[in-house]
Amino acid sequence: MAVKYSFYVEPFEETGRPRRFLEAMAAILKHSNYGFLLDIYSKIRTRCTRCRVDCQIFQASDDPRDIPCARSELIMKIYRRYFTPAGRMSARFFNGFRLTDAFIDDMAERLYNCTACRRCKVTCPMGIDHGLVTHMSRWILAEIDIIPKALVVATREQIDGDTKNTSAIPIAALKDTCEFLEEELMEIYNVPVKFPIDVEGADYVFFPAVSDYLLEPDTLMGNAAVFHATGDSWTIGGKYYDGINYGLFYSDRMWDRIVNMEVDEVKRLKGKNILIGECGHASRSAKVGVPNFYTGEAPPPVINIMEYTYRVIKEGRLELKGQVIEERVTYHDPCNIARSGWIVDQPREILRAICKDYVDMYPRGKDNYCCGGGGGSVSIDEIRKYRTLTTGETKARQIRETGAKYVVAPCANCKKQLKEVCEDHGLDEVEIVGLHDLLLKAIVFPETADRGGRDQEGKDAFGGNGDGEIEGASLPAPAEKTLLEE
Amino acid sequence: MIDKWLELAKGPIFQFAFLFMVLGLARHLVLAMIGTFQAIRRANDRKIPIKTVMKATAGWLVPVKKMRHNALFGVTSIIMHVGMIIVPVFLFSHVALWKASIGIGWPGLGLGLSDALTLLTVAALFALLAMRVISRDGRALSRFEDYALLILLAVPFVSGYLALHPAMNPFGYKGSLLVHVLSGDLILFLMPLTKLSHVVLMPGTQLFAEVAWHFPANSGRNVAIALHKEEEQV
Repeated sequence: MAVKYSFYVEPFEETGRPRRFLEAMAAILKHSNYGFLLDIYSKIRTRCTRCRVDCQIFQASDDPRDIPCARSELIMKIYRRYFTPAGRMSARFFNGFRLTDAFIDDMAERLYNCTACRRCKVTCPMGIDHGLVTHMSRWILAEIDIIPKALVVATREQIDGDTKNTSAIPIAALKDTCEFLEEELMEIYNVPVKFPIDVEGADYVFFPAVSDYLLEPDTLMGNAAVFHATGDSWTIGGKYYDGINYGLFYSDRMWDRIVNMEVDEVKRLKGKNILIGECGHASRSAKVGVPNFYTGEAPPPVINIMEYTYRVIKEGRLELKGQVIEERVTYHDPCNIARSGWIVDQPREILRAICKDYVDMYPRGKDNYCCGGGGGSVSIDEIRKYRTLTTGETKARQIRETGAKYVVAPCANCKKQLKEVCEDHGLDEVEIVGLHDLLLKAIVFPETADRGGRDQEGKDAFGGNGDGEIEGASLPAPAEKTLLEE
Repeated sequence: MIDKWLELAKGPIFQFAFLFMVLGLARHLVLAMIGTFQAIRRANDRKIPIKTVMKATAGWLVPVKKMRHNALFGVTSIIMHVGMIIVPVFLFSHVALWKASIGIGWPGLGLGLSDALTLLTVAALFALLAMRVISRDGRALSRFEDYALLILLAVPFVSGYLALHPAMNPFGYKGSLLVHVLSGDLILFLMPLTKLSHVVLMPGTQLFAEVAWHFPANSGRNVAIALHKEEEQV
């Protein structure tokens, strides 16, 4: 296989690619809901250049081909030429554009340059969702087998493999890990926290990014500790336990299948909710995917573990010791949960309650910058230099400006990426952690409830009265300034 | 001779261009609405967060707060758009034309105000053109249409201004007026054919994008069937 792209791909059929690309595109436009949108976009694109200011990739690479509007032009050019009467006619008269192998290769490279953070969508005056255009274009490419090898190998193991997860962790190893984490919690905090596996009828069936079992033990211990403190029933599925869904990055077909595997596991265990761990893309792919791709009765609600923790703190069911973290802490918004405004203020509330010195990055929330590893690129190890030095440059600057010791990045992808960004940018003193890593140090476990937290008047950890009021509007959080809603 | 041309430009050519514009833009709008309804009907999850969509749409229809983001471009673009909408509709002599043809009139702009707006609009159009030409990124993104439309849009403003100010007009009243009317006709004609169609489609784009993120449940499976990949391993 000739080296064509900066990322590895598996050997693919090299003949007739333009024809097969167009066949795949026709099928996708026909059966998905993207067709009418692409038609509108191809009519109204004004190429106003406004998005160049917002794209961190263009800012770092300074290559005009990385401007979001220029990237979206690739697929629109094909659309206009092959899928509109005017385009077909003008091609006959003027011997117009023709889809070639070279064009497809260039497109593949540029589409995977993008981290699909969707920051440009929020600032496009025409409201063009370049993230959606990238998403759809990558699906077309996937149908002619142009997919980063790292993504497809992991997804193959998840869907067709024996272990049914992207990290190929067998259930025996998972149980060992959980037992080990239980012992750790006993040793350090002297509490008998359990990691329940295969419990039927649990309220929450837990799907973290499965890589957390290998890389983020502290986050998982924090997750389990929260449940231990509240006493709510939760379980890890014994047949399927992976929240990762690379379908969001390259193919709706895979997205569909993986989401249904999650739902099937919840149904098998007669669980009530899908609980996603600290992971941005896992949360969004389930939140958007479950109601769209699950066709059975009553799709289970999807919540993120931070939403859960926030809620139980507001309800006064999880007591915190107060501001036990002395060092400076900042928070990185994972694009997939922050861009839509879904989870922005909840983790900040929690962090302010447990950290003495919390600072925000600028910009933040819906306007945040991507860690640089979005859109699946973090899993592609061969492009690490590009990821950390080009797409991750902006984030490195932001982190440096805060002067924080801990960067809370509640997302498996962001964590891996930011660790590498800090390594490659000489930010050696910075530690990348999850929200629950820090929270674990501040939880008051029921046995030791007299040590603080909820005081005599029944205040919750945020200073509220613990009446379960969870509306974001009632919180004293600073107003969220966003480009979308300004 | 020129009188005949003027009659033609103000009469049949204008009527054709105007009708073409109305029908063309209506077609865009109808197709977009059909697409949206079809997409919602096919989607498995039909809950559209209308409030969020409306808020975003309103934010872009009155983009005062968006200016801060890129002040030079934002201010220039807004001046251009405001002039482009207000001057043709509220110029006193246009109001008189409306009244003569459809019998409905409305208060027109005074000469001083419309003069100022006209000059500002022309300046904004040329500033936007300069931004495209001077900046490498602007050139990289621009196609012929992007330059040509900016120039074409300035023509009726400049010629109309000259027609109303004989003292500084080197071309004569009728000549300027003919250029004014013909360029206006051309713009109307081009509206449905070029990116100018955003005048009707842009208010819907926040909704369209939201709807497109709602999928038919079997979209993936149907694509697999269409491409004969049902049995294929990942």
